[in-house]
Amino acid sequence: MTAGTLGIVRQAEHPVLPKPTHDERARQEFARSLKGFVQQGLLPGLGPVFQGRVGPAFARAHGRPPADRHDIRRGMVEDPYFQHYAATNRIAQELLWESVLDSIERQWSALNARAAQLSARATAPLEIAAGFDVPRYVTAIDIHCMPGGYAAEAGPDDVAAGALYDRGVFLYAMGFMGPFNDDMGRSVVNWLKRHLPDFRPQRILDLGCTVGHSTLPYKEGFPEAEVTGIDVAAPQLRYAHARAAGLGLEVAFRQRNAEATGFPDDHFDLVVSHILLHETSGKAMPRIFHECFRILKPGGLMIHADLPPFDLMDPFAQFILDNETWYNNEPFWGAMRDVDQPALARAAGFVDVRFDTAPMAILEAAGAAGGAEREFVAGEFAPGGGWEILVGRKPE
Amino acid sequence: MTAARLPRDARGRRPQFYAAQGLDQAMSMILVLAAELSVMRERMDTLEGVLAAHGIDATAAIEAHEPSPETLARREAWRQAFLARLYYLARKDAADAARGETEQAFRRTIEDIAQA
Repeated sequence: MTAGTLGIVRQAEHPVLPKPTHDERARQEFARSLKGFVQQGLLPGLGPVFQGRVGPAFARAHGRPPADRHDIRRGMVEDPYFQHYAATNRIAQELLWESVLDSIERQWSALNARAAQLSARATAPLEIAAGFDVPRYVTAIDIHCMPGGYAAEAGPDDVAAGALYDRGVFLYAMGFMGPFNDDMGRSVVNWLKRHLPDFRPQRILDLGCTVGHSTLPYKEGFPEAEVTGIDVAAPQLRYAHARAAGLGLEVAFRQRNAEATGFPDDHFDLVVSHILLHETSGKAMPRIFHECFRILKPGGLMIHADLPPFDLMDPFAQFILDNETWYNNEPFWGAMRDVDQPALARAAGFVDVRFDTAPMAILEAAGAAGGAEREFVAGEFAPGGGWEILVGRKPE
Repeated sequence: MTAARLPRDARGRRPQFYAAQGLDQAMSMILVLAAELSVMRERMDTLEGVLAAHGIDATAAIEAHEPSPETLARREAWRQAFLARLYYLARKDAADAARGETEQAFRRTIEDIAQA
């Protein structure tokens, strides 16, 4: 994909999205542009730098060529081109959060009040659990370098962390998540409609839903269904509930842990997650698969849209992607890709387990309008024009 | 409006990308300055748009603007002063060299004064 494929995508407004001033917006756009430049302008140079000087130097020093992504990293971190690439990428990420924080801090109490007002109007429940235990893999370090992380809150009505995530993810994705940040959910719904045209889920659960950006497409796609989003972070859920209300959709949001949701056995027809698993842990992941199995009805579907495993890529592509582990506070990003996800799903009892690609809805729509080209550039974000999904079915 | 503050520093030790101490921070400062330059440019662009909405074609007027000799001189003076500020460390380096200032001499002076 090239930056020009989609043109400039603007985030769709909704009542709890913080409104930036002119200069705040310009700073946000700069951070996004800098990120785009790193991807389009600096990242392509890493290949030649590795082939031309880092690889040969490694081979001379060690008497063998670099064998895996760890060898490649050892060589690359010494190279000034890589240092500029990685430093600039990190700074772009930091500037992105700074620019959004300015805007939220300025209107913080007004945002909290507006969210509370919107939530009060919704009939679908918002459940925040007193004394909820947020797992360590969410609180130990601030994932994506987002200051405060998912769960930081200053009071019982605080939605700042949700607002920060909503705007931040939009900028981080450089438009590829669509105007509503909902491309992953939308793409999985499209996949379902195409592959299982008769599927009529009555109850749908979205695990690790944060602000509900991926959750809402399920309500739009299956309006008769009871749709629920769960997350461990209260400010994300409050924001999600207000956001859904502001967009006119009735979706329940509950503070629950995907490892032990508290829902009854055989309850849901469809359980989904979007870029959740790589933000959990080695022990949590199998627990989540078992929990999905327990709460699904016989015949029900589990779909996780997340990162493709490393064994499908060459070591250099692995090295590029693994930068997120080291430089963007994604502790489980690299290790998760080494996990045999289909084996985990089968061990939990699932059948018909497979990886598939759900084509990005936003690119399909642009293609239908004659605008999209499926040019592959080894970007760190959604390379290849599709979201990787792991699908499993609970036997009848 | 509340004076409350949101967390600004992400938990998780920040990596150091450059071998030279301080260069990571210098790089971040350069990019913050680049951001502000970009913000300023965007504000000017907006300003031209606002003026256009009020019937003033500032964009064309700016293009057609013929600076007077006084304006040209003022701008040249500003640019030279700006460049001098930008290269103040080079100026200092040359001055040190001219006066024979070395780190050794600096240390010696400190010792001498302590003894004097």
